[in-house]
Amino acid sequence: MTDTVTISPVGQSLRGLLRTAGWIGLGLTVVAVSLSDFLATAPAGASGIGPILAPPSAAFQFGTDVLGRDMLSETVHGLSMTVRAAIPAALVALFVGALSGFSAARLAVPLALSFRWLAGILAAMPALLLAVLVIGLTARGWAALAAGVSAAPLGFVRAFDRARVQMTTAHWNYAHATGLSRSALLRRDLVYEFRDVFAASAARALAAVTIILSTLSFLGFGAEPPRRDLGLMIAAAKAYYLHAWWTAAFPALALTILILFARLAAGLDEGERP
Amino acid sequence: MLRFVLIEAGRLLLGLLGAALMGAAIASVAHAGDGVLQFFSVWGEQLFSFARLRFGDSAISGLPIVTELATSLPLTLGLLLEGIVVASLIGIPVGFLFGMGAARRAAAPLIQIAAAVPIFCAGLALAYLAVNFLQWPVQLDGPAWFGSAVFPRSLAEAQAALLPALTVGLAGASAVQVVMSRAAATIAREPWRTQLYRMGLSRWDVEWIYVVPQIFAALFAHLGEVMLSLLSATAVAEWVFSRPGAADLFVKSVALRDWNAAGAIMLVFASLTLIADFMGRCAAHPLISRGTVR
Repeated sequence: MTDTVTISPVGQSLRGLLRTAGWIGLGLTVVAVSLSDFLATAPAGASGIGPILAPPSAAFQFGTDVLGRDMLSETVHGLSMTVRAAIPAALVALFVGALSGFSAARLAVPLALSFRWLAGILAAMPALLLAVLVIGLTARGWAALAAGVSAAPLGFVRAFDRARVQMTTAHWNYAHATGLSRSALLRRDLVYEFRDVFAASAARALAAVTIILSTLSFLGFGAEPPRRDLGLMIAAAKAYYLHAWWTAAFPALALTILILFARLAAGLDEGERP
Repeated sequence: MLRFVLIEAGRLLLGLLGAALMGAAIASVAHAGDGVLQFFSVWGEQLFSFARLRFGDSAISGLPIVTELATSLPLTLGLLLEGIVVASLIGIPVGFLFGMGAARRAAAPLIQIAAAVPIFCAGLALAYLAVNFLQWPVQLDGPAWFGSAVFPRSLAEAQAALLPALTVGLAGASAVQVVMSRAAATIAREPWRTQLYRMGLSRWDVEWIYVVPQIFAALFAHLGEVMLSLLSATAVAEWVFSRPGAADLFVKSVALRDWNAAGAIMLVFASLTLIADFMGRCAAHPLISRGTVR
Protein backbone atom coordinates (compact mmCIF):
# COMPACT_ATOMS: atom_id res chain seq x y z
CA MET A 1 0.00 0.00 0.00
CA THR A 2 2.65 2.47 0.97
CA ASP A 3 5.75 1.18 -0.68
CA THR A 4 5.79 3.69 -3.51
CA VAL A 5 5.37 6.94 -1.59
CA THR A 6 9.08 7.44 -0.91
CA ILE A 7 9.95 10.66 -2.71
CA SER A 8 11.82 9.83 -5.88
CA PRO A 9 14.24 12.24 -7.61
CA VAL A 10 11.43 12.98 -10.11
CA GLY A 11 9.05 13.70 -7.22
CA GLN A 12 11.62 15.94 -5.57
CA SER A 13 12.20 17.92 -8.75
CA LEU A 14 8.42 18.23 -9.22
CA ARG A 15 8.14 19.57 -5.67
CA GLY A 16 10.95 22.03 -6.37
CA LEU A 17 9.20 23.11 -9.55
CA LEU A 18 5.87 23.61 -7.75
CA ARG A 19 7.61 25.55 -4.97
CA THR A 20 9.24 27.83 -7.54
CA ALA A 21 5.88 28.27 -9.27
CA GLY A 22 4.38 29.24 -5.92
CA TRP A 23 7.04 31.89 -5.28
CA ILE A 24 6.69 33.26 -8.82
CA GLY A 25 2.92 33.43 -8.29
CA LEU A 26 3.37 35.26 -4.99
CA GLY A 27 5.82 37.65 -6.67
CA LEU A 28 3.33 38.37 -9.45
CA THR A 29 0.62 38.91 -6.84
CA VAL A 30 2.78 41.47 -5.03
CA VAL A 31 3.40 43.24 -8.35
CA ALA A 32 -0.34 43.24 -9.10
CA VAL A 33 -1.05 44.59 -5.61
CA SER A 34 1.46 47.40 -5.93
CA LEU A 35 0.00 48.32 -9.34
CA SER A 36 -3.64 47.84 -8.27
CA ASP A 37 -4.56 51.49 -8.84
CA PHE A 38 -3.31 51.22 -12.43
CA LEU A 39 -4.70 47.76 -13.16
CA ALA A 40 -8.20 48.58 -11.91
CA THR A 41 -10.27 50.61 -14.33
CA ALA A 42 -12.40 52.12 -11.54
CA PRO A 43 -11.49 53.44 -8.09
CA ALA A 44 -12.23 51.26 -5.08
CA GLY A 45 -15.91 51.28 -4.14
CA ALA A 46 -16.99 53.40 -7.14
CA SER A 47 -20.69 52.60 -7.66
CA GLY A 48 -22.83 53.16 -10.75
CA ILE A 49 -19.99 52.29 -13.13
CA GLY A 50 -22.30 49.93 -15.01
CA PRO A 51 -25.79 48.44 -14.83
CA ILE A 52 -26.83 46.59 -11.68
CA LEU A 53 -25.85 42.90 -11.50
CA ALA A 54 -24.71 42.73 -15.13
CA PRO A 55 -23.18 39.33 -15.94
CA PRO A 56 -19.61 39.09 -17.28
CA SER A 57 -19.35 40.67 -20.75
CA ALA A 58 -16.81 42.36 -23.00
CA ALA A 59 -17.45 45.68 -21.24
CA PHE A 60 -17.34 44.23 -17.71
CA GLN A 61 -15.19 41.09 -17.76
CA PHE A 62 -16.13 40.09 -14.19
CA GLY A 63 -19.63 41.62 -14.35
CA THR A 64 -21.03 44.19 -11.92
CA ASP A 65 -22.52 43.94 -8.45
CA VAL A 66 -25.74 45.16 -6.87
CA LEU A 67 -24.44 48.76 -6.73
CA GLY A 68 -23.20 48.68 -10.33
CA ARG A 69 -19.54 48.41 -9.24
CA ASP A 70 -17.09 46.88 -11.71
CA MET A 71 -16.25 43.47 -10.20
CA LEU A 72 -12.85 43.26 -11.95
CA SER A 73 -11.71 46.52 -10.38
CA GLU A 74 -13.26 45.60 -7.04
CA THR A 75 -11.53 42.20 -7.08
CA VAL A 76 -8.14 43.82 -7.79
CA HIS A 77 -8.68 46.32 -4.94
CA GLY A 78 -9.95 43.55 -2.65
CA LEU A 79 -6.89 41.41 -3.43
CA SER A 80 -4.70 44.39 -2.66
CA MET A 81 -6.41 44.91 0.71
CA THR A 82 -6.12 41.22 1.57
CA VAL A 83 -2.42 40.99 0.70
CA ARG A 84 -1.56 44.25 2.49
CA ALA A 85 -3.14 42.89 5.69
CA ALA A 86 -1.82 39.35 5.28
CA ILE A 87 1.89 40.23 4.99
CA PRO A 88 2.25 41.90 8.41
CA ALA A 89 -0.04 39.24 9.91
CA ALA A 90 2.22 36.49 8.53
CA LEU A 91 5.28 38.21 10.00
CA VAL A 92 3.56 38.42 13.40
CA ALA A 93 2.64 34.71 13.19
CA LEU A 94 6.19 33.84 12.22
CA PHE A 95 7.96 35.79 14.96
CA VAL A 96 5.44 35.30 17.79
CA GLY A 97 4.87 31.69 16.79
CA ALA A 98 7.65 29.76 15.10
CA LEU A 99 10.72 31.74 16.16
CA SER A 100 9.51 32.30 19.72
CA GLY A 101 8.65 28.61 20.06
CA PHE A 102 12.06 27.62 18.74
CA SER A 103 13.78 29.96 21.19
CA ALA A 104 11.52 29.14 24.16
CA ALA A 105 12.46 25.47 23.93
CA ARG A 106 16.05 26.45 24.87
CA LEU A 107 15.03 28.21 28.08
CA ALA A 108 15.35 26.63 31.52
CA VAL A 109 13.06 23.59 31.66
CA PRO A 110 10.37 24.94 34.06
CA LEU A 111 10.08 28.19 32.11
CA ALA A 112 10.12 26.41 28.75
CA LEU A 113 7.43 23.97 29.82
CA SER A 114 5.30 26.82 31.21
CA PHE A 115 5.41 28.59 27.84
CA ARG A 116 4.64 25.31 26.08
CA TRP A 117 1.65 24.75 28.40
CA LEU A 118 0.30 28.24 27.74
CA ALA A 119 0.76 27.92 23.99
CA GLY A 120 -0.83 24.44 24.10
CA ILE A 121 -3.96 25.85 25.72
CA LEU A 122 -4.23 28.63 23.15
CA ALA A 123 -3.59 26.10 20.38
CA ALA A 124 -6.53 24.03 21.68
CA MET A 125 -8.83 26.81 20.52
CA PRO A 126 -9.57 27.10 16.78
CA ALA A 127 -7.39 29.92 15.43
CA LEU A 128 -10.40 31.55 13.79
CA LEU A 129 -12.34 31.85 17.06
CA LEU A 130 -9.20 33.04 18.84
CA ALA A 131 -8.86 35.79 16.24
CA VAL A 132 -12.53 36.74 16.72
CA LEU A 133 -11.86 36.97 20.44
CA VAL A 134 -8.74 39.12 20.02
CA ILE A 135 -10.65 41.53 17.77
CA GLY A 136 -13.50 41.61 20.28
CA LEU A 137 -11.01 42.55 22.98
CA THR A 138 -9.31 45.20 20.81
CA ALA A 139 -10.84 46.69 17.65
CA ARG A 140 -11.63 45.71 14.07
CA GLY A 141 -8.68 47.76 12.89
CA TRP A 142 -6.43 45.21 14.60
CA ALA A 143 -7.58 42.33 12.39
CA ALA A 144 -4.13 41.75 10.86
CA LEU A 145 -2.50 41.58 14.29
CA ALA A 146 -5.31 39.36 15.58
CA ALA A 147 -4.89 36.94 12.66
CA GLY A 148 -1.14 36.78 13.23
CA VAL A 149 -1.44 36.31 16.99
CA SER A 150 -4.13 33.64 16.66
CA ALA A 151 -2.11 31.66 14.11
CA ALA A 152 0.98 31.86 16.35
CA PRO A 153 0.20 29.27 19.10
CA LEU A 154 0.15 26.33 16.70
CA GLY A 155 3.40 27.53 15.11
CA PHE A 156 4.87 27.98 18.58
CA VAL A 157 3.96 24.44 19.62
CA ARG A 158 5.29 22.89 16.42
CA ALA A 159 8.58 24.84 16.57
CA PHE A 160 8.95 24.14 20.29
CA ASP A 161 8.49 20.39 19.85
CA ARG A 162 10.87 20.35 16.88
CA ALA A 163 13.50 22.19 18.88
CA ARG A 164 13.10 19.83 21.85
CA VAL A 165 13.65 16.86 19.52
CA GLN A 166 16.78 18.58 18.15
CA MET A 167 18.07 18.94 21.71
CA THR A 168 18.00 15.18 22.18
CA THR A 169 20.09 14.45 19.09
CA ALA A 170 23.67 13.25 19.37
CA HIS A 171 25.17 16.23 17.53
CA TRP A 172 23.50 18.67 19.93
CA ASN A 173 24.90 16.75 22.91
CA TYR A 174 28.38 16.64 21.34
CA ALA A 175 28.27 20.38 20.62
CA HIS A 176 27.16 21.02 24.19
CA ALA A 177 29.90 18.74 25.52
CA THR A 178 32.57 20.75 23.69
CA GLY A 179 31.78 23.65 26.02
CA LEU A 180 29.52 25.70 23.73
CA SER A 181 27.08 27.68 25.81
CA ARG A 182 23.30 27.29 25.41
CA SER A 183 23.05 30.79 23.96
CA ALA A 184 25.76 30.07 21.39
CA LEU A 185 23.94 26.88 20.40
CA LEU A 186 20.67 28.80 20.16
CA ARG A 187 22.27 31.43 17.90
CA ARG A 188 23.73 28.71 15.69
CA ASP A 189 20.44 26.80 15.48
CA LEU A 190 18.52 30.00 14.77
CA VAL A 191 20.84 30.67 11.82
CA TYR A 192 20.13 27.17 10.51
CA GLU A 193 16.42 27.64 11.21
CA PHE A 194 16.39 30.91 9.22
CA ARG A 195 18.46 29.44 6.42
CA ASP A 196 16.56 26.17 6.05
CA VAL A 197 12.94 26.81 6.91
CA PHE A 198 12.34 30.58 7.11
CA ALA A 199 11.02 31.02 3.56
CA ALA A 200 8.79 27.95 3.78
CA SER A 201 7.52 28.98 7.23
CA ALA A 202 6.77 32.50 5.98
CA ALA A 203 4.77 31.15 3.04
CA ARG A 204 3.00 28.70 5.37
CA ALA A 205 2.13 31.55 7.74
CA LEU A 206 0.92 33.65 4.80
CA ALA A 207 -1.47 30.88 3.71
CA ALA A 208 -2.76 30.46 7.27
CA VAL A 209 -3.34 34.15 8.00
CA THR A 210 -4.91 34.76 4.59
CA ILE A 211 -7.52 32.11 5.40
CA ILE A 212 -8.09 33.57 8.88
CA LEU A 213 -8.22 37.20 7.67
CA SER A 214 -10.66 36.51 4.85
CA THR A 215 -12.88 34.41 7.13
CA LEU A 216 -12.81 37.18 9.76
CA SER A 217 -13.97 39.67 7.16
CA PHE A 218 -16.64 37.24 6.01
CA LEU A 219 -17.91 37.02 9.61
CA GLY A 220 -17.85 40.82 9.93
CA PHE A 221 -14.77 41.11 12.13
CA GLY A 222 -12.15 42.09 9.56
CA ALA A 223 -12.04 44.85 6.96
CA GLU A 224 -14.38 47.77 7.57
CA PRO A 225 -16.54 49.23 4.78
CA PRO A 226 -16.09 51.15 2.56
CA ARG A 227 -12.63 49.52 2.32
CA ARG A 228 -13.33 45.94 1.28
CA ASP A 229 -11.06 42.92 1.14
CA LEU A 230 -11.94 39.68 -0.61
CA GLY A 231 -13.66 38.15 2.44
CA LEU A 232 -15.91 41.16 2.88
CA MET A 233 -16.72 41.19 -0.85
CA ILE A 234 -17.85 37.56 -0.62
CA ALA A 235 -19.87 38.33 2.53
CA ALA A 236 -21.60 41.19 0.73
CA ALA A 237 -22.39 38.93 -2.22
CA LYS A 238 -23.97 36.28 0.04
CA ALA A 239 -27.42 37.85 -0.26
CA TYR A 240 -27.64 37.59 -4.05
CA TYR A 241 -24.86 35.34 -5.35
CA LEU A 242 -27.29 32.42 -5.78
CA HIS A 243 -28.71 34.30 -8.78
CA ALA A 244 -25.59 36.33 -9.70
CA TRP A 245 -22.71 33.86 -9.28
CA TRP A 246 -20.04 36.26 -10.54
CA THR A 247 -20.38 38.55 -7.52
CA ALA A 248 -18.90 35.87 -5.25
CA ALA A 249 -17.08 33.61 -7.70
CA PHE A 250 -14.34 36.01 -8.84
CA PRO A 251 -13.32 37.24 -5.36
CA ALA A 252 -13.38 33.61 -4.16
CA LEU A 253 -11.24 32.57 -7.12
CA ALA A 254 -8.72 35.35 -6.44
CA LEU A 255 -8.58 34.33 -2.76
CA THR A 256 -8.13 30.65 -3.61
CA ILE A 257 -5.34 31.42 -6.08
CA LEU A 258 -3.51 33.56 -3.51
CA ILE A 259 -3.74 30.78 -0.89
CA LEU A 260 -2.71 28.19 -3.48
CA PHE A 261 0.44 30.17 -4.38
CA ALA A 262 1.34 30.46 -0.69
CA ARG A 263 0.75 26.73 -0.15
CA LEU A 264 2.86 25.80 -3.16
CA ALA A 265 5.64 28.15 -2.02
CA ALA A 266 5.54 26.55 1.45
CA GLY A 267 5.76 23.08 -0.07
CA LEU A 268 2.80 21.91 2.00
CA ASP A 269 1.70 18.33 1.57
CA GLU A 270 -1.45 17.71 -0.38
CA GLY A 271 -4.46 18.77 1.63
CA GLU A 272 -2.40 19.83 4.65
CA ARG A 273 -3.91 22.77 6.46
CA PRO A 274 -1.29 25.43 7.15
CA MET B 1 -0.33 1.36 29.54
CA LEU B 2 -1.78 2.46 32.90
CA ARG B 3 1.24 4.70 33.53
CA PHE B 4 0.82 6.25 30.08
CA VAL B 5 -2.90 6.89 30.64
CA LEU B 6 -2.20 8.45 34.03
CA ILE B 7 0.44 10.78 32.56
CA GLU B 8 -1.92 11.75 29.74
CA ALA B 9 -4.75 12.27 32.23
CA GLY B 10 -2.45 14.59 34.17
CA ARG B 11 -1.73 16.53 30.98
CA LEU B 12 -5.45 16.69 30.25
CA LEU B 13 -6.20 18.05 33.72
CA LEU B 14 -3.48 20.68 33.36
CA GLY B 15 -4.92 21.64 29.97
CA LEU B 16 -8.44 21.85 31.34
CA LEU B 17 -7.19 23.99 34.22
CA GLY B 18 -5.52 26.34 31.73
CA ALA B 19 -8.69 26.47 29.62
CA ALA B 20 -10.74 27.29 32.74
CA LEU B 21 -8.26 30.03 33.68
CA MET B 22 -8.58 31.50 30.21
CA GLY B 23 -12.36 31.20 30.10
CA ALA B 24 -12.63 32.88 33.51
CA ALA B 25 -10.27 35.64 32.37
CA ILE B 26 -12.47 36.31 29.34
CA ALA B 27 -15.58 36.36 31.49
CA SER B 28 -13.84 38.95 33.70
CA VAL B 29 -12.93 41.26 30.82
CA ALA B 30 -15.86 43.56 31.59
CA HIS B 31 -14.04 44.48 34.84
CA ALA B 32 -10.69 45.11 33.16
CA GLY B 33 -11.26 48.86 33.30
CA ASP B 34 -11.80 48.82 37.09
CA GLY B 35 -8.13 48.31 37.86
CA VAL B 36 -5.79 45.34 38.00
CA LEU B 37 -6.71 44.29 41.54
CA GLN B 38 -10.43 44.37 40.80
CA PHE B 39 -9.84 42.33 37.63
CA PHE B 40 -7.88 39.64 39.48
CA SER B 41 -10.50 39.55 42.23
CA VAL B 42 -13.29 39.02 39.68
CA TRP B 43 -11.12 36.51 37.82
CA GLY B 44 -10.76 34.43 41.00
CA GLU B 45 -14.50 34.57 41.63
CA GLN B 46 -15.23 33.55 38.04
CA LEU B 47 -12.81 30.64 38.29
CA PHE B 48 -14.53 29.46 41.46
CA SER B 49 -17.91 29.74 39.70
CA PHE B 50 -16.59 27.89 36.64
CA ALA B 51 -15.44 25.05 38.90
CA ARG B 52 -19.08 24.70 40.03
CA LEU B 53 -20.26 24.97 36.39
CA ARG B 54 -21.87 28.35 37.05
CA PHE B 55 -21.15 30.63 34.12
CA GLY B 56 -23.36 33.58 35.06
CA ASP B 57 -26.03 35.22 32.91
CA SER B 58 -25.96 36.29 29.29
CA ALA B 59 -25.61 40.05 28.80
CA ILE B 60 -27.73 39.76 25.63
CA SER B 61 -30.70 37.60 26.59
CA GLY B 62 -30.46 37.80 30.38
CA LEU B 63 -30.80 34.02 30.55
CA PRO B 64 -28.30 31.86 32.45
CA ILE B 65 -25.41 30.84 30.20
CA VAL B 66 -26.10 27.19 31.08
CA THR B 67 -29.57 27.56 29.56
CA GLU B 68 -28.11 29.19 26.45
CA LEU B 69 -25.58 26.36 26.15
CA ALA B 70 -28.28 23.72 26.67
CA THR B 71 -30.05 25.14 23.60
CA SER B 72 -27.11 25.84 21.31
CA LEU B 73 -24.50 23.22 22.22
CA PRO B 74 -26.54 20.16 21.09
CA LEU B 75 -26.82 21.75 17.63
CA THR B 76 -23.07 22.23 17.46
CA LEU B 77 -22.32 18.75 18.81
CA GLY B 78 -24.83 17.28 16.36
CA LEU B 79 -23.15 19.11 13.49
CA LEU B 80 -19.74 17.96 14.75
CA LEU B 81 -20.97 14.38 14.91
CA GLU B 82 -22.37 14.57 11.38
CA GLY B 83 -19.08 16.12 10.27
CA ILE B 84 -17.11 13.32 11.91
CA VAL B 85 -19.21 10.72 10.08
CA VAL B 86 -18.68 12.46 6.72
CA ALA B 87 -14.98 13.00 7.49
CA SER B 88 -14.54 9.31 8.32
CA LEU B 89 -16.48 8.10 5.30
CA ILE B 90 -14.52 10.30 2.91
CA GLY B 91 -11.22 11.00 4.68
CA ILE B 92 -10.20 7.44 5.64
CA PRO B 93 -10.63 5.83 2.17
CA VAL B 94 -9.07 8.87 0.51
CA GLY B 95 -6.22 8.82 3.05
CA PHE B 96 -5.49 5.16 2.21
CA LEU B 97 -5.84 5.81 -1.51
CA PHE B 98 -3.42 8.73 -1.37
CA GLY B 99 -1.03 6.61 0.67
CA MET B 100 -0.33 4.84 -2.59
CA GLY B 101 2.31 6.66 -4.58
CA ALA B 102 0.72 6.51 -8.02
CA ALA B 103 -2.69 7.78 -6.87
CA ARG B 104 -1.02 10.39 -4.69
CA ARG B 105 0.97 11.83 -7.58
CA ALA B 106 -2.02 11.78 -9.93
CA ALA B 107 -4.35 13.52 -7.51
CA ALA B 108 -1.80 15.89 -5.95
CA PRO B 109 -2.59 19.01 -8.03
CA LEU B 110 -6.35 18.57 -7.54
CA ILE B 111 -5.93 18.07 -3.78
CA GLN B 112 -3.69 21.14 -3.53
CA ILE B 113 -6.34 23.27 -5.22
CA ALA B 114 -9.16 21.79 -3.12
CA ALA B 115 -7.19 22.41 0.09
CA ALA B 116 -6.63 26.05 -0.87
CA VAL B 117 -10.37 26.79 -0.89
CA PRO B 118 -11.40 28.52 2.38
CA ILE B 119 -14.20 26.73 4.24
CA PHE B 120 -16.70 29.56 3.83
CA CYS B 121 -16.15 29.54 0.06
CA ALA B 122 -16.71 25.76 0.02
CA GLY B 123 -19.93 26.20 2.03
CA LEU B 124 -21.23 28.89 -0.32
CA ALA B 125 -20.31 26.77 -3.35
CA LEU B 126 -22.22 23.79 -1.94
CA ALA B 127 -25.24 26.02 -1.30
CA TYR B 128 -25.05 27.36 -4.87
CA LEU B 129 -24.93 23.84 -6.34
CA ALA B 130 -27.82 22.67 -4.10
CA VAL B 131 -30.05 25.60 -5.04
CA ASN B 132 -29.31 25.85 -8.75
CA PHE B 133 -28.80 22.20 -9.70
CA LEU B 134 -30.82 20.23 -7.12
CA GLN B 135 -33.48 22.89 -6.41
CA TRP B 136 -33.05 22.39 -2.64
CA PRO B 137 -34.48 25.01 -0.27
CA VAL B 138 -31.41 26.64 1.30
CA GLN B 139 -31.60 29.46 3.85
CA LEU B 140 -28.45 31.59 3.92
CA ASP B 141 -29.71 34.77 5.56
CA GLY B 142 -31.94 35.40 8.52
CA PRO B 143 -32.90 32.95 11.27
CA ALA B 144 -32.61 29.21 10.69
CA TRP B 145 -35.79 28.24 8.96
CA PHE B 146 -36.27 24.88 10.62
CA GLY B 147 -35.80 26.03 14.18
CA SER B 148 -33.37 24.47 16.55
CA ALA B 149 -33.94 20.76 15.95
CA VAL B 150 -30.78 18.67 16.32
CA PHE B 151 -31.95 15.97 13.92
CA PRO B 152 -34.05 16.61 10.80
CA ARG B 153 -37.74 15.63 10.90
CA SER B 154 -38.54 15.91 7.20
CA LEU B 155 -36.90 15.73 3.79
CA ALA B 156 -36.62 19.52 3.57
CA GLU B 157 -34.93 19.64 6.96
CA ALA B 158 -32.62 16.80 5.98
CA GLN B 159 -31.64 18.70 2.82
CA ALA B 160 -30.96 21.80 4.88
CA ALA B 161 -28.95 19.79 7.44
CA LEU B 162 -26.87 18.00 4.83
CA LEU B 163 -25.07 21.10 3.51
CA PRO B 164 -23.52 22.23 6.82
CA ALA B 165 -22.68 18.60 7.63
CA LEU B 166 -20.96 18.26 4.26
CA THR B 167 -19.08 21.54 4.79
CA VAL B 168 -17.80 20.41 8.20
CA GLY B 169 -17.20 16.87 6.97
CA LEU B 170 -15.13 17.96 3.98
CA ALA B 171 -12.92 20.09 6.22
CA GLY B 172 -12.54 17.13 8.57
CA ALA B 173 -11.90 14.74 5.68
CA SER B 174 -9.11 17.00 4.49
CA ALA B 175 -7.48 16.86 7.95
CA VAL B 176 -7.98 13.08 8.22
CA GLN B 177 -6.51 12.31 4.81
CA VAL B 178 -3.49 14.55 5.47
CA VAL B 179 -2.65 12.77 8.72
CA MET B 180 -3.08 9.35 7.10
CA SER B 181 -1.12 10.19 3.95
CA ARG B 182 1.68 11.69 6.04
CA ALA B 183 1.81 8.58 8.23
CA ALA B 184 1.81 6.32 5.17
CA ALA B 185 4.68 8.30 3.66
CA THR B 186 6.67 8.09 6.91
CA ILE B 187 6.08 4.37 7.35
CA ALA B 188 7.09 3.74 3.74
CA ARG B 189 10.60 4.90 4.63
CA GLU B 190 10.88 2.74 7.78
CA PRO B 191 13.54 0.00 7.52
CA TRP B 192 11.44 -2.53 9.45
CA ARG B 193 9.15 -3.02 6.47
CA THR B 194 12.00 -4.33 4.34
CA GLN B 195 13.12 -6.52 7.23
CA LEU B 196 9.63 -8.01 7.53
CA TYR B 197 9.66 -8.86 3.81
CA ARG B 198 13.07 -10.48 4.24
CA MET B 199 11.65 -12.61 7.04
CA GLY B 200 9.33 -14.11 4.43
CA LEU B 201 6.08 -12.36 5.34
CA SER B 202 3.71 -11.73 2.46
CA ARG B 203 2.86 -8.22 1.32
CA TRP B 204 -0.69 -8.67 2.64
CA ASP B 205 0.58 -9.62 6.11
CA VAL B 206 3.01 -6.72 6.28
CA GLU B 207 0.42 -4.20 5.15
CA TRP B 208 -2.59 -5.30 7.16
CA ILE B 209 -0.93 -6.57 10.33
CA TYR B 210 1.82 -3.98 10.69
CA VAL B 211 1.29 -0.95 8.45
CA VAL B 212 -2.46 -0.28 8.69
CA PRO B 213 -2.50 -0.22 12.53
CA GLN B 214 0.36 2.30 12.45
CA ILE B 215 -1.56 4.55 10.06
CA PHE B 216 -4.61 4.42 12.34
CA ALA B 217 -2.35 5.07 15.33
CA ALA B 218 -1.14 8.25 13.61
CA LEU B 219 -4.76 9.25 12.96
CA PHE B 220 -5.68 8.72 16.62
CA ALA B 221 -2.56 10.54 17.81
CA HIS B 222 -3.62 13.59 15.78
CA LEU B 223 -7.27 13.53 16.79
CA GLY B 224 -6.89 16.91 18.52
CA GLU B 225 -5.69 18.44 15.24
CA VAL B 226 -8.67 16.93 13.40
CA MET B 227 -11.02 18.28 16.10
CA LEU B 228 -9.61 21.79 15.61
CA SER B 229 -10.39 21.59 11.88
CA LEU B 230 -13.90 20.35 12.63
CA LEU B 231 -14.57 23.10 15.20
CA SER B 232 -13.35 25.85 12.84
CA ALA B 233 -15.51 24.44 10.07
CA THR B 234 -18.47 24.20 12.43
CA ALA B 235 -18.18 27.89 13.30
CA VAL B 236 -18.14 28.84 9.62
CA ALA B 237 -20.92 26.40 8.65
CA GLU B 238 -23.20 27.68 11.41
CA TRP B 239 -22.63 31.23 10.22
CA VAL B 240 -23.11 30.46 6.52
CA PHE B 241 -26.20 28.29 6.99
CA SER B 242 -27.75 30.32 9.84
CA ARG B 243 -27.68 27.50 12.40
CA PRO B 244 -28.00 28.87 15.93
CA GLY B 245 -25.31 26.66 17.47
CA ALA B 246 -22.69 27.37 20.13
CA ALA B 247 -20.03 28.54 17.63
CA ASP B 248 -22.53 30.99 16.14
CA LEU B 249 -23.37 32.10 19.69
CA PHE B 250 -19.67 32.65 20.41
CA VAL B 251 -19.27 34.94 17.39
CA LYS B 252 -22.39 36.92 18.32
CA SER B 253 -21.36 37.06 21.99
CA VAL B 254 -17.96 38.55 21.13
CA ALA B 255 -19.58 41.02 18.72
CA LEU B 256 -22.04 42.15 21.44
CA ARG B 257 -19.48 42.03 24.29
CA ASP B 258 -21.24 39.23 26.16
CA TRP B 259 -18.03 38.03 27.84
CA ASN B 260 -19.70 35.52 30.17
CA ALA B 261 -21.01 33.56 27.20
CA ALA B 262 -17.75 33.96 25.23
CA GLY B 263 -15.66 32.66 28.16
CA ALA B 264 -17.93 29.67 28.76
CA ILE B 265 -18.04 28.68 25.08
CA MET B 266 -14.28 29.04 24.76
CA LEU B 267 -13.87 26.71 27.75
CA VAL B 268 -16.21 24.17 26.14
CA PHE B 269 -14.41 24.26 22.77
CA ALA B 270 -10.93 24.06 24.27
CA SER B 271 -12.12 21.16 26.45
CA LEU B 272 -13.47 19.33 23.39
CA THR B 273 -10.08 19.62 21.67
CA LEU B 274 -8.14 18.59 24.77
CA ILE B 275 -10.41 15.60 25.43
CA ALA B 276 -10.21 14.49 21.77
CA ASP B 277 -6.42 14.77 22.00
CA PHE B 278 -6.36 12.73 25.22
CA MET B 279 -8.63 10.01 23.85
CA GLY B 280 -6.71 9.87 20.59
CA ARG B 281 -3.35 9.52 22.34
CA CYS B 282 -4.69 6.77 24.60
CA ALA B 283 -6.14 4.91 21.60
CA ALA B 284 -2.91 5.30 19.64
CA HIS B 285 -0.59 4.14 22.41
CA PRO B 286 -1.32 0.37 22.31
CA LEU B 287 -1.15 0.40 18.50
CA ILE B 288 2.20 2.19 18.51
CA SER B 289 3.54 -0.02 21.31
CA ARG B 290 2.57 -3.13 19.38
CA GLY B 291 4.22 -1.93 16.20
CA THR B 292 7.67 -0.59 15.58
CA VAL B 293 6.99 3.03 14.72
CA ARG B 294 7.60 5.67 17.34
